[in-house]
Amino acid sequence: MKRTLATFGILVIFAALLAGCTNDQYAIEKQFWYAQKQADTIFANPHATPPNELQRVIGVLGRFAQRYPETPLSLEAEFTIARLCLATKEYDAGRKQLQRIMEKYSKNTAICSEAVFLYGNSYELQDKWPLALEQYQKIIHEYQFTPRGISMPMYIAEHYKVKFEPEKMRQALQDAISHYQTLAIRFPNSQLSFTAHTLIAQCYMGLQDWQNAIGALDTVINRYRTKAPVDEFIVNKAVIYSRELNDKATAKEILQQFIKDYPRSGLIATAKQLLKKLE
Amino acid sequence: MNPQNQTPTIKNAYTQTFRAIRSTPEFFWPFFIFAILESVFLLILFLAPREPLRLVLGPPIRTFWGERFLHYPANFLLLPKLSSLSRMFLSVFFGSLLTGTAVAMAVDVFTKGKARFDNSLKTALKKYLVLFAIILVVTVLFYLALRFSSTALVKYFIAGHRKLLFIPAALWLGPLAVIINLAVAIVIQALFTYAIPALMAENQRFITCIFRSFVAFKDLFGKTLLLVTLPILAYLPIIVLNYNAAFLIRKAFPEIILIVLLAGVFISALVVDLLITYSTAFLYLLYRNKK
Repeated sequence: MKRTLATFGILVIFAALLAGCTNDQYAIEKQFWYAQKQADTIFANPHATPPNELQRVIGVLGRFAQRYPETPLSLEAEFTIARLCLATKEYDAGRKQLQRIMEKYSKNTAICSEAVFLYGNSYELQDKWPLALEQYQKIIHEYQFTPRGISMPMYIAEHYKVKFEPEKMRQALQDAISHYQTLAIRFPNSQLSFTAHTLIAQCYMGLQDWQNAIGALDTVINRYRTKAPVDEFIVNKAVIYSRELNDKATAKEILQQFIKDYPRSGLIATAKQLLKKLE
Repeated sequence: MNPQNQTPTIKNAYTQTFRAIRSTPEFFWPFFIFAILESVFLLILFLAPREPLRLVLGPPIRTFWGERFLHYPANFLLLPKLSSLSRMFLSVFFGSLLTGTAVAMAVDVFTKGKARFDNSLKTALKKYLVLFAIILVVTVLFYLALRFSSTALVKYFIAGHRKLLFIPAALWLGPLAVIINLAVAIVIQALFTYAIPALMAENQRFITCIFRSFVAFKDLFGKTLLLVTLPILAYLPIIVLNYNAAFLIRKAFPEIILIVLLAGVFISALVVDLLITYSTAFLYLLYRNKK
């Protein structure tokens, strides 16, 4: 009994020592967390950060990226260096870092699109919108199938909305619709086509073109009913009929059908509340 | 006047407890052994995301809670839950035996004036199955009560209600849930607290022990609740810190959760469990004598 207990104890201690000493993925994650925490301190108050502190943290992140180049955290560290430079208004240094990332990961379009986006952001921070727009257009044309590439036309429209430039916003939304329609036609019945159609509906809503928005929502609902969850689009359609077109009868009809067809949907409570208000 | 003939009071129970601990330091042993055992398990769980323990503990963690809890620092968010589960397991399999040993020592001190750890351990070993069954019932009841209260609250608020008794959902599902859990723990522990003293002092069957515990609880209602609640107050800071685990990780460092849990293990074993076990055992023995 004593011998069994002693063997078990030794095994536990041995396993614990082994677990604590190896430089495994967990140890790498731990190192990254502490490096990132130092960066977060700078992000919390970038303008009060002394230059030597910034250089020190950049050094920590740089050494981490060099030491573990094969891990995804290495890329995250490299992006953090760029973001630190931008946050502390070291725009040229930040853009150089992003250029390095683009060269290093030139074969990975998703990473490149994110780097170009941050490059564009750096110009936005300097209030140089034309130069930023140039970068964003580059993303739309060169990295159009990446998540960033797909969302970029909407980002541009949102910029004009925030800056209170309605004409430019309308034009950006029209351009976005054409872009998404091209994508949807080129890749029919794909995930990309589904995303494009939902974004088209959003663009029409942004333009307050409610009839076309309903048409776009109908396309999504009818084409993808069996392939993807469309309950959100049906409820959106009812909301447009009720609030924007003041057609309460159609809105009621849609909601009643929705409650009947999708009794297990997460939007059932919302639909019932809307219906109650309409009644 | 012989203290054994007086109406048992909380003061009597605590006087007997502290006198016994002072005269026989072996009274600490069952709880110290349990604290060491729990600490070893906690360290194993802490090292679960790392090789070579990851090979064994990684798959269940991934299956039940998700891959992210095998990574730094998210593993520290899961650690309190894993620690509570391991405590349940240890309580049923080892805690039952050690509590039985502790109560047997209390009975020996009360009846013979002296106690030895090894003799009491032998006595407890002979009654292990009943001890195991009592702690299993308490643990399962406690687990089910917690599940029921949390599920009922979540279902109530998912159904669209925003308030319950004029209190918003955020409070019910946050700090109030912790208080409810604590209250449930106190009531269940108080209800069954005399089952082991009944077993060790009177050598009764399982059902009789449970029945005796209920009767004693009814007769000593207020005293029992106080004897169970007072030591648990010492554990409150640990509950509050565990509840704010995410905040602690963000503001300090992730390893602080391990430090808090280790402190919790020792406070729970050497203060809460020790005081509740001995004080209720002595109160039961005094109550039995009075009867």
